[in-house]
Amino acid sequence: MRKVVVLCSLLICYVLLLFAVVNMPSMGDPDSITIKGPPGRGAVPRYLEKGAEECGGENIITDIILNYRGYDTNGEVTVIFTALIGVLAVLNRERKKISFSDMEQSPVKHSVIVYTIVRILLPFIFIFSLYVILFGEVGPGGGFQGGTIAAAAAIIFILVFGYSYSIGKFPTSWRINFEGIAPLTFIAMGLIGLFLGKNYLTFMFPQFSHTTNLTIARSMLMIIEIAIGVGGAFIFTSIFFAMQREDRS
Amino acid sequence: MNYMQVIDKAGTNFNYVIAVTLFIIGLYTVVAKDNLIKKFMGLNIMETACFLLYISMGAVKGGKAPIWTEGLKKSTVFVNPIPQALILTGIVVAVSTTALALSLMIKIYEHCETLDAEKLKRLETE
Amino acid sequence: MIWRLDIILLLFLVATALIVVRTKDLLAAALIFGAYSLIMCIVWQQLSAPDIALTEAAVGAGVTTVLFIVTISKTTRREE
Repeated sequence: MRKVVVLCSLLICYVLLLFAVVNMPSMGDPDSITIKGPPGRGAVPRYLEKGAEECGGENIITDIILNYRGYDTNGEVTVIFTALIGVLAVLNRERKKISFSDMEQSPVKHSVIVYTIVRILLPFIFIFSLYVILFGEVGPGGGFQGGTIAAAAAIIFILVFGYSYSIGKFPTSWRINFEGIAPLTFIAMGLIGLFLGKNYLTFMFPQFSHTTNLTIARSMLMIIEIAIGVGGAFIFTSIFFAMQREDRS
Repeated sequence: MNYMQVIDKAGTNFNYVIAVTLFIIGLYTVVAKDNLIKKFMGLNIMETACFLLYISMGAVKGGKAPIWTEGLKKSTVFVNPIPQALILTGIVVAVSTTALALSLMIKIYEHCETLDAEKLKRLETE
Repeated sequence: MIWRLDIILLLFLVATALIVVRTKDLLAAALIFGAYSLIMCIVWQQLSAPDIALTEAAVGAGVTTVLFIVTISKTTRREE
């Protein structure tokens, strides 16, 4: 009985949503209002034309998330740090001599092929993640993407080499220093704009010439990207360690 | 509108129709399935359906990705970059809520030995 | 946008989502969820969004699937 009621109400919702979707402007039309915005006031033509010279990056999306819509990125790095705090409040941190995990008995650990391939591939994955972070301004990529790739590499390491060996390699006392680096660096770079006379999160100042401005803006963007990448990698590694521990009583 | 016009418009806006379908599939999973992990997979499907709707609104036929590479003239047709910037933040928020919810489920299983929503409702009224 | 590839990918997406809903084995559902994430990444590339494609590939296959599998290994594997 309950399933019949659920299915009928979902069917009604589906038909109503299909009516709404069929009446939307056509997809892929370059003159529609979703691409150009209201005439004379649209933000999109201005971001596309003046993005490279006002912000210093050639990837327009990096321009938008770090300069034009910088407040949203400020909230995003705070959200990911809050997720780490939440996970650590529910499942406490591991302790070095006491925690163990049932991954020690995994059959993957004794296989020569997996061992060798992971040891050869892991440096290349780390270099690739560094490339993606640093080329965020000039091509596709960015801070968060590179950080997640580095965290995936660290997770492969932990899965293959066992839990206690990895806790020795990524000790907690060393990881704690880097987890909060992303929100702190973002707020620090934003406050520089406040101290030099203009608003929060400004990267170009009227006191300097245009080429100096471009250099300052590019270096500040690169510092923020590296901080977001490194912070994201450490946060995901800590979340993975916290979910694996087994000595809760 | 007669039938042929409706089907023609649905063919042009095919991405939107698929996004709405995925949203309803995710909503069915959240409402009708009992296991908590299955409910959470349905929530993730709903989130990706919203992203698909939003980015398809900014797509242009023959548009290029919004990156100034070598040899692009000033008059190239680009894809709308603003939805992509907003969805990037959205994906980060989705993965953060996934991490937090899954750690809560591990803790629930330790205390109550079950992950079934119906049994959990009956547990707390006793 | 190559439109035939687009239509096939989107129909595949709906099929994978239906399979995720219907299986009773949670480990299979987590792995097929990883495949759903991969097909979504190719759809983003077809819509000319390379940043989103990189993010979805790294997050979907690297973080979300692994977290689901860790949770399933610590709780039940079958649904009932």
